[in-house]
Amino acid sequence: METILNIENLTKVYGTVPNQTQALNGISFQVMEGEFLGIMGSSGSGKSTLLNCMATVIEPTSGKIQIDGKDLQKMKGAELAKYRGQKMGYLFQNFELLDNLTARENILLPVSLHGMSEKEGQSRLEELAKYLEITEVLDKFPDKMSGGQRQRVAAARALILNPKIVLADEPTGALDSKNARSLMEKLTGLNTNEQTTILMVTHDTAAASFCKRILFISDGVIFHELRRGDESRQDFYERILNVMAQLGGGRSNVL
Amino acid sequence: MFSNLIFRNSRRSRKENGLFFGSMVISIMAFYLILSLSSQDVMSFLKKMESDGVNRLMTLIPIFYAMTLVILFFLIFFACKYQFERRRHEFGVYLMHGMRRSKLFGMLLTEDLISSGLALLIGLPSAVVMAEIISLITAKSVGMGIVDHQFSLSGSAIIWTLVGFLGIKLLALLILSGRISRQEIGTLLAQPVNHPKKQLPKAVYAIVALIGLLMLGMAYYMGNKVGGAWATPAKMALALGLGLIGTLFLFFGMRAFIALLVKANKGNKKLHVYTFRQIQENVIYKSSSMAISSLLILAALCCFGAGLSISITNKMYSDHVMDYTFSRFADDHYDVEITDDSTKLLTLVESKLQENGLADQFSDIFEIRLGNVRTTEDFENAYDMSAFTDAIASTGTKTSEDILNNLRYQGFPTLISLSSYNHLLEMAGETPITLQQDEAAIYIDPSFTTADEAELMNEILLTRPKTTLAGETLYLTSEVQTQKLCTDRIVTYSFALIVPDEVFLYQTQGDYFTYVNAVLSDEAKDGNSLMSVFTQVNEQLNATGLQYESYLQNMGRNLFFKVASSYITIYLAIVFLVVANTIMGVQFLMSQQKTGRRCQTLIRLGATYETLCQSAGKQIRWFMGLPVVVAAASSMFGIRALLIGLDASSGMSSNNLLLLVAALMMVLLCIVEFVYIIVVKRASDKYLLKLMDIKREE
Repeated sequence: METILNIENLTKVYGTVPNQTQALNGISFQVMEGEFLGIMGSSGSGKSTLLNCMATVIEPTSGKIQIDGKDLQKMKGAELAKYRGQKMGYLFQNFELLDNLTARENILLPVSLHGMSEKEGQSRLEELAKYLEITEVLDKFPDKMSGGQRQRVAAARALILNPKIVLADEPTGALDSKNARSLMEKLTGLNTNEQTTILMVTHDTAAASFCKRILFISDGVIFHELRRGDESRQDFYERILNVMAQLGGGRSNVL
Repeated sequence: MFSNLIFRNSRRSRKENGLFFGSMVISIMAFYLILSLSSQDVMSFLKKMESDGVNRLMTLIPIFYAMTLVILFFLIFFACKYQFERRRHEFGVYLMHGMRRSKLFGMLLTEDLISSGLALLIGLPSAVVMAEIISLITAKSVGMGIVDHQFSLSGSAIIWTLVGFLGIKLLALLILSGRISRQEIGTLLAQPVNHPKKQLPKAVYAIVALIGLLMLGMAYYMGNKVGGAWATPAKMALALGLGLIGTLFLFFGMRAFIALLVKANKGNKKLHVYTFRQIQENVIYKSSSMAISSLLILAALCCFGAGLSISITNKMYSDHVMDYTFSRFADDHYDVEITDDSTKLLTLVESKLQENGLADQFSDIFEIRLGNVRTTEDFENAYDMSAFTDAIASTGTKTSEDILNNLRYQGFPTLISLSSYNHLLEMAGETPITLQQDEAAIYIDPSFTTADEAELMNEILLTRPKTTLAGETLYLTSEVQTQKLCTDRIVTYSFALIVPDEVFLYQTQGDYFTYVNAVLSDEAKDGNSLMSVFTQVNEQLNATGLQYESYLQNMGRNLFFKVASSYITIYLAIVFLVVANTIMGVQFLMSQQKTGRRCQTLIRLGATYETLCQSAGKQIRWFMGLPVVVAAASSMFGIRALLIGLDASSGMSSNNLLLLVAALMMVLLCIVEFVYIIVVKRASDKYLLKLMDIKREE
């Protein structure tokens, strides 16, 4: 299996001497093609900083982020924009659909931004819409959709260009448990059937239990790693809860 | 520390919102310019000559001032609102940290005072310089020597500018801070969002837009039809109402057309759908302010067009032949020998001029002889021209009705001797007319006829209609004559007959009167502006005791009309244009800020700064362009309607003038729009650059 994302000794320091905060303290890990990786951690653990570095929102102080063998830090301007759309799909906590565009137009935004042919975009759209069960809302505006539909539309938008990796930022954060479950099932399906690589940051143990592997971050370092073997989701869920409890915050940290 | 914060905030506001600061400076200049009109060179000069007119205009100034006040209030209000919207979050933070609302208001007021003070420091001197430039240009263009120019600083104008400007600023601030203080801190802290508006079916909008277009078409038709909008006030109100509601409807329904543009995405252009959805949203949310901006621009264009055509058409020097007219009556207190016998007036004038050494000032002195029919006692039916009037009536046109209205009671016409009238024609550089003993030519003062009417009469005159004057047959021939008979503007003949000298002497029985006209010699005019020559010669003539009427008075009147109307119309045009554009610019920037989150999403999806700027540029061009295009299209009809309305009597149907005015208008419009679009685009680019620095929200 090919390595999609390679993170090496990543550090991020905020502020200047003497008021420095070490948000990331030498994190290294790899994400393989077709993986479904979860990142968990309490507030202030550094997971947001890590996600922001990968999403090229902030620059790391040192270390390396390589996607598909290319150094992210060396990318500038157009190449960076291309990375944001084509190599990486981003799934937001608050969906971030443009409310004056229909679902179809929202999904096709990356197509128009990155010059994919319209025909190709349309066929991919239909395929995704069918799978994510949003065909009937394609011509509706976001305010006419349910939260679950909105997030599935957002997922279709993140996936339309077949990105190398999907970064999901608390994707179930704004959903009720039923919709959250349905979304996670769809994402798992995509991961299993289409080999879509997904990296998800979450607080939600239930959502995390859909992942194949979970990294726990605390104080800017990887504190623990869990791999889901052949066990049931329920068992994996229990194991995650245990780690979360060990992290020191107990259940209050999980929610 | 608090004062530091105020200074810093004030500086930041000016830096971030140049549009707002610019609009303040423009308001100040506008106030000063209208208020200082009375101290303009031309106006103070005209006060001596046309004091009635000038005084009447000056009584109108407060009305214009009040109007400017109202219009500029909206400008300031919108600009202020934008400024406040930008800072909502900041206000929320202040309040959250326990700042009292009164202190917040005080802080805003002080910040505003600092900015206003700076705007005044820049605006007032610029306004004074601008007023001086306008004064100099008008003085120069009307022929007053630059020597006559005096630097003027109007104290009262400055005071009223201060009062007006600070007054509207305070009012705007009060209203806006009242709104802010009524909002909950949570609302202030939250990102502003555009709540979706309920939409009606698309067909409804399309129908409304079509009705709007139809109403506009009707308004244009009424305005451009003789006897249409200009016939009665009620019709005018109807045409204006149709135009107004039509424009509002058109903009209300325009979203239906924009929706078509959203679909028309050929070649999958970058962000095409997004860009047009944004434009559509702006059209939906701001349809009425777009319509109002469009109407303001239309008003500006019409004012500018009217002002321009007034200043272009009133040529003062080319259309006059004589410079002076001496008449037979003199003021009693002059101890001079005056003859009652008007036939000797010419000799008297010549000798008086000779005596006073003024003879060389004039190149030509000649008399115009006029008289009434004295060969019959029947004063009401001395002249019968039914053959002529019947022929006109038979054409059955609207023009013929107008002519007949004028000719109906011309049974006792004044007679003009052919030789004296021909002299006048020669002076004007036209071919003299020749008449047989049984022929006469029609004379009508230019103020009583139009080009269309003259043309129709000329056609009939080709048939030599037969008329009778006191029993004698006279065939009407030649063309209708319209040369002014003397410089006195009160002397106007709605109808007279030019007859050969023998006929003239016979019919008047030698009982006639004369106007002695004089033309200034080239030596007198040499090297001096016409205005100063007249002033000089008048002074010398006053000493002779002769009663005269100079062209100067006439010119003064014309000049007054020209300066006053073109100054005010062009002034209003610029104010309207500035206000409309500022409102549109500010509205765009405000809605851009409200939808800033969308841009952030686009950035995450891989939109580059350039792509976003291009999209924003397109949105700006469309948002500002739509009202401008509608206004420009309307103005083509509007200006035509104005010219038809204003110049119906002078018969000016010149298409060239219309073209010239239109071209100048378009140039002005393009320059102003270009400047505004650039300013707004810059502000938008700056804002987008700020958005590029995205953060993940926790």
